[in-house]
Amino acid sequence: MSNLLAEGERASVVLAGEGALRALADAALAASDAEETEVFLRTRTYALTRFANAQIHQNVVSREARARVRAVRGKRVALSSTDRVDRDGLERAARSAGELAERVPENPRFAGLPEPRAIPSAPAAYVERTAVATPLDRAKAAQRICDPARAKKLSAAGFVATLVEEVAVASSKGTWAYWPRTGSEVQVVAIGDDGTAYADRAHADFAALDVAGAADEAIAKCLIAQKPRDLAPGDYEVVLAPYAVSDIVGFLSNQLTGLAVEEGRSWVGGKIGERVTGPVTLVDDAFDPEGYPQPFDYEGQPTERVTLIEDGVARGLVYDSQTAHRMNARNTGHALPANPFLPVAPMHVRLEPGDKSRQELVGAVKRGVLVTRFHYTRWVHQLRTIVTGMTRDGTFLIENGELAHPVKNFRFTQSYADALGGTLGIGRDLSLVDELLAIAGMSRRVPALRLARFAFTGATRY
Amino acid sequence: MHSAAPATGAFGSERNLGRRALDTARTRGASYADVRFVRREVEDAQVKNGALENVDRVDSLGFGVRAIADGAWGFAASPVVTGAEADRVAALAVEVARASALTKRDAARLAPVKPVTATWRSPVAKDPFAMSFDDRLALLLRADAAMRAQQPKLRTTRAAYEIWRESKLFLSSEGADIAQTITETGCSISAESVGDGEQQVRSYPASGGRSQGQFGWEFAERWDLVGNAPRIADEAMALLTATPCPQDLRTTVILSGNQTMLQVHESCGHPIELDRALGTEAAFAGTSFLTPDTLGSLRYGSEAVSMRIDSTTPGGLGTFAYDDEGVPASEGWAVKDGLFVGYLMSRETAAALGKASNGTMRADGWARLPLIRMTNVSLMPGAAGTLADLVADTDEGIYMDTNRSWSIDDRRFNFQFGTQIGWLIKGGKLTEMVRNPTYTGITPEFWGSCDAVCSDSEWFIWGTPNCGKGQPSQVGHTGHGAAPARFRNVRVGVIRA
Repeated sequence: MSNLLAEGERASVVLAGEGALRALADAALAASDAEETEVFLRTRTYALTRFANAQIHQNVVSREARARVRAVRGKRVALSSTDRVDRDGLERAARSAGELAERVPENPRFAGLPEPRAIPSAPAAYVERTAVATPLDRAKAAQRICDPARAKKLSAAGFVATLVEEVAVASSKGTWAYWPRTGSEVQVVAIGDDGTAYADRAHADFAALDVAGAADEAIAKCLIAQKPRDLAPGDYEVVLAPYAVSDIVGFLSNQLTGLAVEEGRSWVGGKIGERVTGPVTLVDDAFDPEGYPQPFDYEGQPTERVTLIEDGVARGLVYDSQTAHRMNARNTGHALPANPFLPVAPMHVRLEPGDKSRQELVGAVKRGVLVTRFHYTRWVHQLRTIVTGMTRDGTFLIENGELAHPVKNFRFTQSYADALGGTLGIGRDLSLVDELLAIAGMSRRVPALRLARFAFTGATRY
Repeated sequence: MHSAAPATGAFGSERNLGRRALDTARTRGASYADVRFVRREVEDAQVKNGALENVDRVDSLGFGVRAIADGAWGFAASPVVTGAEADRVAALAVEVARASALTKRDAARLAPVKPVTATWRSPVAKDPFAMSFDDRLALLLRADAAMRAQQPKLRTTRAAYEIWRESKLFLSSEGADIAQTITETGCSISAESVGDGEQQVRSYPASGGRSQGQFGWEFAERWDLVGNAPRIADEAMALLTATPCPQDLRTTVILSGNQTMLQVHESCGHPIELDRALGTEAAFAGTSFLTPDTLGSLRYGSEAVSMRIDSTTPGGLGTFAYDDEGVPASEGWAVKDGLFVGYLMSRETAAALGKASNGTMRADGWARLPLIRMTNVSLMPGAAGTLADLVADTDEGIYMDTNRSWSIDDRRFNFQFGTQIGWLIKGGKLTEMVRNPTYTGITPEFWGSCDAVCSDSEWFIWGTPNCGKGQPSQVGHTGHGAAPARFRNVRVGVIRA
């Protein structure tokens, strides 16, 4: 077969297509003499136009491909990966994994490859006009941000990105799953002499990406973010923009897995059915048409919609085939591409909306802090969900329901679960906060939140 | 899949394709272009709780073309190594550059560099790709077993290695032709304990998944993972019932070498990146308090603090002969006797300051654009003797060892770090173990409070194989020489116990 990306069978202008990927997967399966073999294929074109100082300074388009073969001999398992996604490359990877599987010791915990299961239908995630977006299209979008920023005597930094990707999973047990998808994202930091502000938008359809909305939001917020004042660190009531809420949801949801409970590092370990937060509902919904839907995981297993937290009560966990087997649980279809660091995770998380407008959330605060975005957040204590990080790009004091003035950025050291325990209000509008999650096949849709208490433990100089 | 390393000049067919790509770029109107072919072979293995949890061999080959057209930059890349694809990718890089010019205010300018023809390979005593897989795996299995035998109640034990080899060919329209092969080995063990609402981890020889160096398998053997496994296991269990770190007070802190290394990485290495200082990372990683107007005048730390930028340090993950712009390896000062005096630079950023590049541009494989990355940014040894000498010289304080948590603001002022373990210092001795130690500060104040750095005998070139930067994201390999160091009047214990 000729090279996939150069001349493969095409279902669209840019996709290799299901037929071509199926043929490559079949070749790899045929080349393997292992007892069980699994093939994961991914091809993508990823384009990112990056601007800073209100001009484009980095601008990239890359075609990428990755094949990963998992070979199984009894309880012996090995992987081999390549980005040579043609017949020769796939066959070599299959033989390499098979040879390695002969030499590795048995893993008594390995449950075998999962049996094939029917893949449910899901909303389409592929938009051809995103796939065919040109460098000039992205540059014009960047211009739509840089020009109005300059007009307001501001600078701008950020990016405009488009992604077209197809993933496929095949196994010697008969699994076959194929899914094409697209994504686009714009990020903007508007920069003044003494203050910055942030906005982000994402959409599977580049034509529907609200570039102007992101630019206008960041510029307007930046104009009122200048000359931040000192505010003493301490415990404050807060309103968090969706960009900040996304960070909380990301940290907490990654611990809502069977594996995290098994390893004793999950904040809901032993607490399923108990109240663990305030009145929030968190679901993993791979069929959300406003996210980046995908109906199967990277083992080719159907992904189930899972309620993780229901009105503050821990309800469910997500599993891949291996942890489900070990924990005698149902496989919910949440395996990531095989890796030792994060093999299973909720990938399409949604924090359900409430009934408050953003203005109502701020308007209810007598004295508190509005946070636009967090920066460089890291675990301090995983089990207690304590995270440290900074605020950035638009932090304001709220007094009597109105933004009083910008304040210098804080360091926080806060249990994220405890923070949600003090949920006082939930925004009614959800934002798809991408932050380059699309390239990992993930999405988060979250509202703004009003929380009773957040521990700002330090401050910086700006 | 694995073989002994290819000869660094063994990019025969790729060299011809690269020249063809450069011709195409020039024909399409590029005023400058370069092409990099990168082949990367990696093997990762992880043993968890006594069984081989994961072994993955990666074989990657592709190329990327960088071009300037109409005074602006473009980049395109592909894993399809054919003549037709070389033409397509080169033409696309020029098309992307012309699109970039839509917002151009300042035309791209490059500091001059002499184009060279060269080959280089990093030295390896024991080629990890040439030895048997069984021998590599045996080390992990024995180390993991030693932890579990010592402390059967540990929840999770892990032992891991990575062997990594990258061969790359750089060709430029200015005439450069540089082939390099770099081999790295990394390894780690970790023990995780759970009980009574606590979860603790100890890892060795450092944190962050693994410690890595530009060495062969001799790097994995030098640490005596098996011999250290019982101690790590004991410490992980002991931490469950250890006294919490004293809360929110100011005291003297001594940092281990592997923690000082990360402090250097975050609070010096990143802020001396000139792209950050010039604003081109503003939206993501952030900017820097070390702005160009402070070069040569800002007091970064005490006179005990001197830091080098050195891409020639043997064994460092930032060691090479030429960077990914064809600029030769170099050494110089970032901080001299406490004064900020030097940046990490690229050809373009150096030109903005009227300087020559010191060669710090590196890309994460063929599909990504070269960025300014730390080479080896190192705290130079002082005269405080051994760690034992430094502790003996300290009346009261806390010794903190091996990173657990790290965070710093987007101008690199306010940081907060946590370590896996600590010990109180009383009367010049390590006394009680403490759990969940953290410390926080403002970078120039913190380094200004450094009054002692241990001597040469404690200095080691640590490796950070997981430094994130850029959009699309890239993972960089950076080196940091460091020795234990002492800091006065540090705020510790910023965590509600």
